[in-house]
Amino acid sequence: MKTLLIGEYREGKMLDSTYELLGFAQQFGGESTLLLVGSETQLPAYAGTLYLADAASCGEYNPDLHKKLILETVQKEDPDYIVFVHSSYGWDLAPRVAATLKAAQVSEIIAIADGGFEVACCNAKMRRTVKPLTAKAVLTIQAGAFPVLQPGGAPAVVKISAEGNGRLAFVGYEPTEKKDIDLAKAEVIVSAGRGVGKKDNIPVIQALATALGGELGASRPVVDAEWVSHDHQVGTTGQTVSPKLYVACGISGAIQHLAGMKKSDFILAINKDKDAPIGEIADVLVVADVMQFVPALMAKVAR
Amino acid sequence: MFLDLTEEQKLIQGTARDFAKAELEPVAAALDQSDDRAPLMANLKKLAELGFMGLNVKEQYGGTEAGVVAFSLAITEIARACASTAVTLSVNNMVCEVIQAVGNEEQKVKYIPKICSGEYAAGGFGLTEPGAGSDPSGMGTQAVKDGDYFVINGSKVFITSAPYAGVFVVWAVTDKDAPKGKGISCFLIEGGTPGLIIGKEEKKMGQHASATNELIFDNCRVPASAMMGKLNDGFRIAVAELTGGRIGIGSLALGVGLAAMDYATKYSTERVQFGQKISNFQALQWMIADGYTELEASRLLLMSAAWRKENGKSFAKEASMAKLFATESANRACYSAMQMLGGYGYTQDYPIERFTRDARITAIYEGTSEIQRLIISREILRNFS
Amino acid sequence: MKLLVCIKQVPDMESRFKPDASGIWYNEADLAFRMNEYDEYAVEQAVQLREKLGEGSELTVLSIGPDRVVEAIKKALAMGCDNAVHVQDTAASAKDPWQIASIIAGYAKDKSFDVIFTGMQSQDRGSAQVGVTVAELLGVACTTTIVGFAYDNGVITAKRELEGGIKGAVTLNTPALVTCQLGLNVPRYPTLPNIMKAKKKEITAIPAADLTTSESLAATTSFHPPAKKGGGIVLEGDVGELVDKVIAILKDKTAVLR
Repeated sequence: MKTLLIGEYREGKMLDSTYELLGFAQQFGGESTLLLVGSETQLPAYAGTLYLADAASCGEYNPDLHKKLILETVQKEDPDYIVFVHSSYGWDLAPRVAATLKAAQVSEIIAIADGGFEVACCNAKMRRTVKPLTAKAVLTIQAGAFPVLQPGGAPAVVKISAEGNGRLAFVGYEPTEKKDIDLAKAEVIVSAGRGVGKKDNIPVIQALATALGGELGASRPVVDAEWVSHDHQVGTTGQTVSPKLYVACGISGAIQHLAGMKKSDFILAINKDKDAPIGEIADVLVVADVMQFVPALMAKVAR
Repeated sequence: MFLDLTEEQKLIQGTARDFAKAELEPVAAALDQSDDRAPLMANLKKLAELGFMGLNVKEQYGGTEAGVVAFSLAITEIARACASTAVTLSVNNMVCEVIQAVGNEEQKVKYIPKICSGEYAAGGFGLTEPGAGSDPSGMGTQAVKDGDYFVINGSKVFITSAPYAGVFVVWAVTDKDAPKGKGISCFLIEGGTPGLIIGKEEKKMGQHASATNELIFDNCRVPASAMMGKLNDGFRIAVAELTGGRIGIGSLALGVGLAAMDYATKYSTERVQFGQKISNFQALQWMIADGYTELEASRLLLMSAAWRKENGKSFAKEASMAKLFATESANRACYSAMQMLGGYGYTQDYPIERFTRDARITAIYEGTSEIQRLIISREILRNFS
Repeated sequence: MKLLVCIKQVPDMESRFKPDASGIWYNEADLAFRMNEYDEYAVEQAVQLREKLGEGSELTVLSIGPDRVVEAIKKALAMGCDNAVHVQDTAASAKDPWQIASIIAGYAKDKSFDVIFTGMQSQDRGSAQVGVTVAELLGVACTTTIVGFAYDNGVITAKRELEGGIKGAVTLNTPALVTCQLGLNVPRYPTLPNIMKAKKKEITAIPAADLTTSESLAATTSFHPPAKKGGGIVLEGDVGELVDKVIAILKDKTAVLR
């Protein structure tokens, strides 16, 4: 069995998620090869074969050219599986490769299951086991679902290239809004989710964060509702954090949020719904109304 | 027999539900506590733009032509979030319908589109008087002919939306010697007409965001063209329109009752006493079962009355039954909901006390429960004599 | 110009899901269905473009599924789509993304749509494949997860949402397909007059069998709730007691409380 792993590169840097692909490959077993559209100056610390194209000529986001590079490598290597990270790069490119190969695609894999792959569905409330029926299959793995594996060493580089313009033109990146607070450095984060009910309740959550010597975080719906500014957002489209203590207040636990905080040392979740997905990764799940529990906790902590 | 809603009715219900959840629910508690009506006015405007002010009114007058069932569904969904907004909607729809039913073409074209579009925040319905509540035919307000004008004197009470209504439908005695109920006429009077004075606002128990005022007529001169329908034929119109309004108020009560039961039931699955969820206790299970059973029966009665009206069948008895049962069920539901929340339910930190206050009036206005029983029994006994 | 928007009807995600008799999808009984959230952004963007283009442009909405999906179709019509295609398929939930994409491409292949909008993924299956696969099958340009959209004279300028709050701007020439993400726009409420007017808009029904040409490439073998993580503790009970328990745990397990 053979896997071709498709690494990621953005704004002149190889992304660490590339090492999650190696983590997946190790769990999955068999032989694996890496393909990256990146730069010779940014080689992964890994001693296998690396098919390397130059992002300077092939672009960081140029799906048509990247697809061509992958398909040519597939012809050479004949892998059984072509594996991407389920990211803005991976979910965009994977179906293009799959469609051309007429190969099955399994999206956002969270675990390798008996006879197939485990994927999340129904807003992460449920799981499916999916089995490819084709000889070759395309896979995307959920960010953060597999361990980071940085084996060390230097790759044997095989240079590849592709010509042409592709059907879309990449214009440029728009930087993230300026951050007033740096959640990544916070030791304690107390985050508010939709379950806090209304904007007026945010100060209660902020107060607990302050009392614990931490920062206020928020889930995406709370930021979208403008209860809290974007610089507090935790998750794939916000910040990825790993504090010593993460308190999730009324956050059900969408995959995108979990991906941003699951590496926290200790996770305390307060939620009315005992079955909320946050319960899967929380060290402690308190089943209670946030607006009853947090003020009561606050009173004891502040004492 | 087909008990499902049409796709259009489901979509109207969906728009009402989504709007209520996103725009009304977040401000309902604040509206209840504050004198600032700006959020109510803004939401009424948006609801008008969405087409909620003339649900059973023809398209040519700016209405939606969605029918009475859709009207009932919409009022219920709005009331689940904010009863004050829902009562304004119900009255506005009723005013549009009465103008459509008895106004002349000029009157229809002049006023209905203004209510439907939100140009007028509201329409007023001026029937009740200090001395004529359950017995409106005993009214004392008089309109005396003076050339091409009528001069109106008297007063009305409990007029919903009076401070911001663009036009009022007003009933006044035009023949004081006629037998009771026979000498009353109906007029359309614009807000701001000299001699039409908006009196004091009532300090009510609930439905605070919706203004309820006295209307005083002090030599209020209106042109003869302001008369709607025929001279001395107004009382019949009032009775007919109140019947339709009852579907609105019943639907409103259903919304409040559902909001209370939904909140309390959810609470019962979270609140723990004696080491377990209180929903495990049979005492609460019975409240839940009874509450929802009565609300479901209310819904079916309302749907039946609305469907009969929409399809041109007699509906007076059914509307009264639906109004009676829905409003009293809603009050019982609020009572049970508060029992389920215990002491917390009695505080303003939870919405149940607001629901309870908002529900109480529904068994009184648009005809008390006692008047509904009178109508129902009269309609039934007629078939036995 | 011809525009197409593809929508799916999905259960309300607040629902409780349980497996159906086959054990590979959810039981539909007792579920309330509504338009997939991401598809609402797609419809809104398509309608905005249709309004900008005005006369001579046409916006079609397409959905695949049993009769219940007509409600979602009518919502899209009430939001401003001109006409609709209902691909009738009582077994749509058993089809994999490849088959769904093949049906859409099968319908669209000879219609020369200039712009096709889809949601970035469905809320229930969440594979994020159908849109891109349709573009591949039709051989048109495509970009995904857009939170910004502008069209001018045959060129689309889109902003993609990337990780970490960064956005990527791209331009693509029509014909093209875009998949829409939360944050692109605020979908309008269908107004009541438009809901009533939508009754008169044409919904073409096509049996799925007329468009289904491919076998599925992947099989779902099980649908189940997630396994509970071993170490987590679930605390229930009186709030006062919960607070004491939590403080004791935090003191024991973290350096935050001493």
